[in-house]
Amino acid sequence: MEITKSIQDQSATLGLVGRLDTITAPRLEEELKEILSNVTELVLDFEKLEFISSAGLRVLLSAQKVMSRQGSMRLIHVNEAVMEIFEVTGFSDILTIQ
Amino acid sequence: MRKILGITLGGLQKKTITLVLIMLLIMLAAFAGVSTYQNKMLVNVVGATRADQQEAISQVSEETMQEMLERALVSSTTLRADLEDSEFSEIVNNVYMLQTMAQGLLESRHSFDPLQPSLPDPALNGTPSAMVLCEEGVDYTQSEYLGIIAHMSSAMIAMHHNSDKIDGCYIGLADGTDLCIDEKAANKLDENGDPIPFPVRERPWYRGAIEADGLYFTGVEHDAFSNRLLVTCSVPIKLDGEVVGVAGIDIVLETMADFTSADTARGTYAYVVNDRGQVILGPEGRGVFELSDRTVDLHRMGNNKLSQFVDKALRQTTGLQAIDIQGNLYYMVGSPMPTVGWAVISVVDKVVTEQPKNLMLSEYNRINEEASDKFSDGTARTKWTTAFILLGVFLIGLGAALFAARRIVKPIEKMTKSIVRSSQTGELFQMEDSYRTDDEIELLAEAFDDLSKKTKRYIGQITEITAEKERINTELSLATKIQAAMMPHIFPAFPGRPEFDVYASMNPAKEVGGDFYDFFLVDDDHLCMVMADVSGKGIPAALFMMASKIILQSCAMLGQSPAEILTKTNEAICSNNQVEMFVTVWLGILEISTGKLTAANAGHEYPVLKKAGGGFELLRDKHGLVIGAMDGVRYKEYELQLEPGAKLFVYTDGVPEATNGDKEMFGLDRMLTALNEIPDAEPKDVLEHVRTAVDIFVRDAEQFDDITMLCMEYYGKDLHSHDSESKG
Repeated sequence: MEITKSIQDQSATLGLVGRLDTITAPRLEEELKEILSNVTELVLDFEKLEFISSAGLRVLLSAQKVMSRQGSMRLIHVNEAVMEIFEVTGFSDILTIQ
Repeated sequence: MRKILGITLGGLQKKTITLVLIMLLIMLAAFAGVSTYQNKMLVNVVGATRADQQEAISQVSEETMQEMLERALVSSTTLRADLEDSEFSEIVNNVYMLQTMAQGLLESRHSFDPLQPSLPDPALNGTPSAMVLCEEGVDYTQSEYLGIIAHMSSAMIAMHHNSDKIDGCYIGLADGTDLCIDEKAANKLDENGDPIPFPVRERPWYRGAIEADGLYFTGVEHDAFSNRLLVTCSVPIKLDGEVVGVAGIDIVLETMADFTSADTARGTYAYVVNDRGQVILGPEGRGVFELSDRTVDLHRMGNNKLSQFVDKALRQTTGLQAIDIQGNLYYMVGSPMPTVGWAVISVVDKVVTEQPKNLMLSEYNRINEEASDKFSDGTARTKWTTAFILLGVFLIGLGAALFAARRIVKPIEKMTKSIVRSSQTGELFQMEDSYRTDDEIELLAEAFDDLSKKTKRYIGQITEITAEKERINTELSLATKIQAAMMPHIFPAFPGRPEFDVYASMNPAKEVGGDFYDFFLVDDDHLCMVMADVSGKGIPAALFMMASKIILQSCAMLGQSPAEILTKTNEAICSNNQVEMFVTVWLGILEISTGKLTAANAGHEYPVLKKAGGGFELLRDKHGLVIGAMDGVRYKEYELQLEPGAKLFVYTDGVPEATNGDKEMFGLDRMLTALNEIPDAEPKDVLEHVRTAVDIFVRDAEQFDDITMLCMEYYGKDLHSHDSESKG
C-alpha cells in the first residue's frame, strides 16, 4: 500500500492506494500517530483504496475517536467495494463519508 | 597437512618457502647465466686478441727481420766482396808481377846466361822448389827461353813463400815447357821416378789467358796432378807482341773457403761467383749449392731469377732478394768484386730468418698458454667459488624462508587451533601476545577476538530469544487449543434433537485467531447461534474473543433477545476497551418448535439463507455497528420464519476475502455458487464443499485470515418432513 500525504496548517490529507489490511494497517497507524496530534482536520482519500479489512477498520476507528475529540475526520472518494464493507460492519454510521 | 621436523608441508608455510625458492632460483639462474656469458665473452676476446697479436707479431717480426737482414746482409756481403776482391787483387798483382818479370827477362835475355832448370826432386817435397814440367815428347833442354825464365825461380819461390793463398806459380812457355814452383815435387813423378808429362798448352789457364789476351781466371779446375780443385789466375807473356808463354798462380781455395764459410754456422752462406756464373768459392758439403766434383754454374741451373740475380750481382750490389731454389726460399744479396770481375753472393735460408719470428711466436704462445692456463684455472676456481657462494646464498635463503614462513605461520597455526578448540568447547577465543605481530595476523586475531565475543553474546541473546519464542509458541498453541476447546467441537452436537442439525468449523490462519462461532441451547426450545470476528490476531484477539464469547453467552443465557444481547455485550466491552478492538457478531436464536429465527447483526457479514426447496441466497439483514467501537449503540433485531428444510449459513470474512496468488478475492458470488452446487447436502458436507472450493480457488497462496463457517439445517418438529426432505 502507498500513502500520499499533504499537510496544510492544521489540515492533513492522506491518500491511500491499494489494500488496507492486517499487513498494511500498522503503517497507516504509524503515519497517523505522527500527524494526528497537530491537525484539526483529517481527510482520508479512498479513491484508490481497493480493500479494507478489520485491522484497517480498527485504525479508522482509533483515528475517528481521536479526531472527534480535537476536530473532524472525513473520508472522500470511497468506492463501492469499500463502502459495502463500511455498511456491513456498521462503520458507515459512525464515519463521515462524502 | 603433514609435519616433518616441525615444518608443515603444505599451507602458507610451503607457499612462502616455494615463493622464496622460486625467487632464489631465478636469481641464481640469472647470476649463473650472466657469469657464464661473461666468461664466454672473455674467452672469445682473449682468443681473438691472441690471434690478432700473433699476426701482428708475425708481421712486425717478419718485416723487422727482413729489414735487419737486408741491412746486415748487404753490408756484410759488400764487405766480404771488398775483402775477397782485395785478396784476389793481391793474386792478380802477383801474376802481373810474374808477367813483368818474365817479359823483362825475355827482352833482355841476351844479358843473361841460361840456367839449367832441374826436374822435380822428391827430396824437396814439402818446401817450395822450382821444377821443370814438360809436355809429352818435349825436350826442355832445347827450350829457347826456359833457361832465361829460370832466373825467376828464386823470386817465385819467395812469392810462394810469402803468400799462404798461393798454391803454386808457374810460367808456361809456348814450346811446351813449364817452370813450376810448389811444395809437391813428389806428385810430379811417377812410381819410377820419371817426370809425369804435363800438357802445358792444354791447360785451361794457359789457353784462357791467350784467348782473353789478358788477365784470366779459370773456373774451378782440377789440379793436373793432385786432382784438387783450384782456381788459376793467369796472364799471357809477350815478347815483341807475340805470345811466348803464360804466367799463372794457383789459388788455394781451402784458404779462401775458410773465409767464405765463416758465417755458415749462423745459416748464412757466402759464395764467390766468377764472371761466368760459376761458383768459385763456397762452403763445401753444406749450403745451397752442391759444391762437389763438378763446379756449379748458376746460369745452368734452369733458374731464370737466379741467373738474372747473378748477372746483376756481377755489376752492382743488389738488395735483398728472395729466390726459390728447388722448392726452398732463400734470401740473397750479391756484391761485385771489381778487381777480378766476380761477385760475392750471400745466401740465407728463409727458414733461418723466420727462426726469431717463430721463436718469438712460440714464446708468445707459451706465455699465452700459461696465461690461458692461469685464466682457465682462475675461471674454474671462480666457477667453484661462484657455485659455493650460490649454494651458500641458496641455503641461507632457504633457512631465511623457513624461518620467515614459520614466523608467519606459527601464530596462524596457534590461532587456528585456538579457534577450533573454542568452536568445539564454546570457550572464548583468547587474544595472546604471540598474535601481536604488528601485521594482518594481529588484525585477524583481533577480529577473531571481537567475533568470538560478539558471537558468544549473540548466541546468548538468540538462546534467550529462542527460549522466549518457544515459550510464546507453546503458550500460543496452548491458547489455540483452549480457544478451540471453548467452541463446541463435538458433532453431531445435539444427537437427541432431530429437529435441526448444526455443524461448524474454524480453520485459523495462524495460531490463535480472532474468529469464533458458538451454538448452545438457551432452553429446550431455543438454540442460540453466534458467528463473530474479532479485529486483529494473536493473543490480544484471542483474549478479546474469549471475553466477547463469554459475555455473549452469559447475556444469551439470561433469555434476552438478540438485540438486547448485542447491546449489553457492547456496553460491557466498551466500558473496558482500551485498545480499540472490536468484534463483528451475528447472533441468532431459533425457536425450535416453530422455526422462528430472531437475529441481530453487529457489523458482521450477511448471512446466507436457503429456504425450503429454494437455493442459497444472501440475506441483506439490518446492520448495526461492530461491538466495541462505540458506546451506547442500540442494536435492532429481525425475525425469519424457517420452514423445515431451510438452511442457514453464516461465516466470517475469511471466506469471501480468501485471496489467491493473483490477489483476487474469492467473493460472495463464488461462495453462493459453491453453496448452490450442493443445495441439498447436510451441514457438514456443505462446509466441507465450501472449504474445498476456497482451497481450489486459493491454490498455493497463503491462507491469510481465519476461515470460520457455521451451517444449520432446520428439519422442524415433524421427523417425517425431514425424511421426505432428505429423500426428495
